[in-house]
Amino acid sequence: MWARLRSWLAAVVRRDRLETDLSEELEFHLQSRTDHWVRQGLTRQEAARRARLEFGGVDKHAEACRESLGLRLLDELRGDVRYALRQLRRTPTFAVVAIVTLALAIGANAAIFSLVDAILLKQLPVASPRELRQVAWLSNEGAGTLWSGIWYNGSATETAPRAATSFSYRVCDTMRRQSTSFSSVLCLGHVEQVNIGAGGRAVLGQGQLVPGNFFRGLGVTPAVGRTIDAGDDAAGRAPVAVLGYGFWERVFGADRSVIGKAITVNGATVTVVGVAAHGFFGIRPGTETDVFLPLVPMQPLVYDEPGMLESARHWGWLVLARLKPGVSDEQARAETETVLRTELRDHPPDTTVTDLPRIRLDDAGRGSDQLRGRLGPPLRVLMTIVGGVLLIACANIAGLLLTRMSARHREIATRLAIGASRGRLARQVMTECLVLAVIGGSIGVGLALLLRRALPPLLSEGSEVLHLDLSADWWVIAFSTIVCVVAGLACGLLPALRAPQTGLAPIIARTASSITSASSRSLVGRSLVVVQVAVSVVLLVGAGLFVKTLLNLRSEALGFRPDHLLVFEMNGTLNGLKDTRLVNLYEQTLSEVARLPGVRSASLSRWGLLSGNGTSDALVVPGRQAPIHVDVHLVLPGYFKTMGIQVLVGRDISWSDREHATPVVIVNQLLARQIGGASIIGGTVQVGDVHAQIVGIVGDARFSELRTPPRATVYVPFRQHGEHVATFVLRTAGDPADLIPIVEKTLSRSQPDVPISNLRTQDAQIDTAVRQERLFANLVSAFAMLAALLACLGIYGTLASSVSRRTPEIGLRVALGADRPSVTWLILRESIGPVCIGVAVGLLLAFWSTKLIAGMLFGLTPRDAATFVAAAALLFGSALVAAWLPARRAARLDPMRVLRCE
Amino acid sequence: MPPRADLVPGTLDLLILKAVSLGPLHGYGVLLRIEQISGGTLLIEQGALYPALFRLEHRGLLASEWGVSDNNRRAKFYRLTAAGRRQLKDEAEGWQRSAAAIASALGARPEEM
Repeated sequence: MWARLRSWLAAVVRRDRLETDLSEELEFHLQSRTDHWVRQGLTRQEAARRARLEFGGVDKHAEACRESLGLRLLDELRGDVRYALRQLRRTPTFAVVAIVTLALAIGANAAIFSLVDAILLKQLPVASPRELRQVAWLSNEGAGTLWSGIWYNGSATETAPRAATSFSYRVCDTMRRQSTSFSSVLCLGHVEQVNIGAGGRAVLGQGQLVPGNFFRGLGVTPAVGRTIDAGDDAAGRAPVAVLGYGFWERVFGADRSVIGKAITVNGATVTVVGVAAHGFFGIRPGTETDVFLPLVPMQPLVYDEPGMLESARHWGWLVLARLKPGVSDEQARAETETVLRTELRDHPPDTTVTDLPRIRLDDAGRGSDQLRGRLGPPLRVLMTIVGGVLLIACANIAGLLLTRMSARHREIATRLAIGASRGRLARQVMTECLVLAVIGGSIGVGLALLLRRALPPLLSEGSEVLHLDLSADWWVIAFSTIVCVVAGLACGLLPALRAPQTGLAPIIARTASSITSASSRSLVGRSLVVVQVAVSVVLLVGAGLFVKTLLNLRSEALGFRPDHLLVFEMNGTLNGLKDTRLVNLYEQTLSEVARLPGVRSASLSRWGLLSGNGTSDALVVPGRQAPIHVDVHLVLPGYFKTMGIQVLVGRDISWSDREHATPVVIVNQLLARQIGGASIIGGTVQVGDVHAQIVGIVGDARFSELRTPPRATVYVPFRQHGEHVATFVLRTAGDPADLIPIVEKTLSRSQPDVPISNLRTQDAQIDTAVRQERLFANLVSAFAMLAALLACLGIYGTLASSVSRRTPEIGLRVALGADRPSVTWLILRESIGPVCIGVAVGLLLAFWSTKLIAGMLFGLTPRDAATFVAAAALLFGSALVAAWLPARRAARLDPMRVLRCE
Repeated sequence: MPPRADLVPGTLDLLILKAVSLGPLHGYGVLLRIEQISGGTLLIEQGALYPALFRLEHRGLLASEWGVSDNNRRAKFYRLTAAGRRQLKDEAEGWQRSAAAIASALGARPEEM
């Protein structure tokens, strides 16, 4: 085997040498034989003739020699490729159309797949990622009722409760010390927003508290300096930090002298000791960790809550572990479960545990996150869509090839007649398609690589920045190659099977064949039409559903006026500010921005409207049994006026509703109606632990989500609640976007240490909230239109070639008295059948498949009848137009000219 | 001249291996050697020798190098590789076994039945 490969490679690589050697060797034989016969007494000429005769055909034997080396296939392939390129040059329009179609279809597939790869497939760039496990636990008890600070992954199903992914530091530490199944156990903080001060300016970044064995345990090396080690992760050590590679490049311009410099993290001064390896973005996909901090010394500095490490109640630490080679998951699971149950026995929570928690080990080779669960379904939908587009593109090119082949009838028949084998002809058609696919695919993949940076924002939600590692890896390369080859084969399969059947007989019996219609060639063409129409219908239905979803969302009554609003967030707690000082900072900032020219009014609230965030609590009305679940909205005075929410009864929150004044609340109409109407003004309700007086009723407005209708809401004075984040809102006279640079400049001057974030107009905020819906509406519409257009082209092409083939027959019919409508009908009839079947198949497919996108729709069911009817009608209409054009041409044929041609 | 026989299909490779096993030869030399060792009874189309030589070399049973022939011309010489020697042994034994079996079958007389 090896000898053959080596010999073949040598022959391929040193082909010229082989050819000269071969001819020299055969020449030597002939010379020697000639000498032999001369010695026998023949003349030189006669001897040479005799030698040649004995030898047989020199060319034939030389070719057999090449074949012995396995070169013949290669030679033929080379010939086929050359022939294919010549064919394509000869029909440039076809070539361009086919290449562009394939480039778009394959490029779309490669682009979407690079997302799939980054989110669902790519392993972390750490040593042996397959050994990594995330430790999770399940209890029917409801983890949150046992301890505080619990994090979850995924959602509860009917059979299993939600998996909790966090532990107390002590449990985690015990696992690390006692484990015999893991080679390392990492106790981690979550990736969280931190305020990083470097070089005189403050930026918001993602920080993570990591243990001393983090980098060594993962096998991540430093790009510069050193990583955090066990020596850094102990109480009382000088605080240090390792920067993420991207952060180092962005903020420090990849300056190596940053090592040893001091930066601040949430106000605490730390020394930079290193930069993590290039390409390591942290362990949470979708985010890039900017700064890694040693857990034990930095915990009290980064979080304002002390004692989170010692507390048996705070269960907020993640556990990542590396399985020892040869240890089974079950062994490690059982061992870890013992640690957890021992802790429960020694330090029982306040609530009695009736359902002992079970440990589950999740594969963490691709990182720890919720991103896969969230983006999995939309990615699958996108992948299906681009797959459908590719299918249509292939069907279309196959149709075009068939049409072109019927034009090349004579050439093919002639080649068959002079001895080309049928298999060889089929292989040539295949080669041509593969050449098309490779050219189109290369362009498409190139485009996808160029444009891939534009992709992640399309999938991110709200203001989140989705950071994905989109570097092409083997998965992407393999996928793109396979798609190219499959596309090429798919395009060529039907034409290749058809090619050999285009025999000599029909050409010779030209007259006979031209009268008979409905040959099997057009049957193939028609089945291609069915496929294209069916896929187009599915995509059109999908497009309709997504467009309607977007329209439904945008036409929802919000309850406030979103135009002319500018919003931004500020988080003073990251600078260590608390309580009064924090609110004072906010109020001072508010008065500054309110004074800016062009600002009509300004206010602030804890959460911005429709930002995806919200707080809720239980409200108790005296004399009522059941508490009411309400949204709690913390606001400063002037909020309702700024947002355009109507105060219906009573008053707005006033500046005198401060920390020690009587607690007050304002309720929305929905809640007011629930608890007694306008008469409730002056009454008292209990929100959380606070008894507050109702002083006003305002109109209903959507709170955290665009998709959720207004709920019972209470508005609480911001100052009467020690809170953290503030979202400022400014109502402007002109375009709010004009104020963005002014606000940025003003605040960076007056509050250089407190960064602001998410500065944007409220309209932009709503746009981001429906970004995914918009993406799907636009993308699926575009693809559906493209698909429908290609399908119509296919119908047109099939019919046009059928008309030219049936010209003599039509001429005869007209001469015998057929009128124009009946001729038009004759041709139309040929396409109406496949179109009807295609529409029916498409509707069935859509009926079955749209339930997969039910979760992505809003305000309509996935089987929305109007959408189905519209999609079918649209496609049927355009198909009719496409079919009518060749039919009209047929009807206008002049019978005399046609019959004369024959 | 002795009567000539057509080559049994599949035996050309075996004959080439045998011929080359007696010492390195160029293509024409292989032809002469086969004629010589078969007593001039086997008839081969001369040109067909070369695809067979290429095939055997491709399979690693022969190795080749360029040298100078008796009449001072440049020629390609073939020699047997270790794999070729094994192959020759196996095939020769197989051939002799079946030849003996066939000869014995053809030599059967009615009274022995």
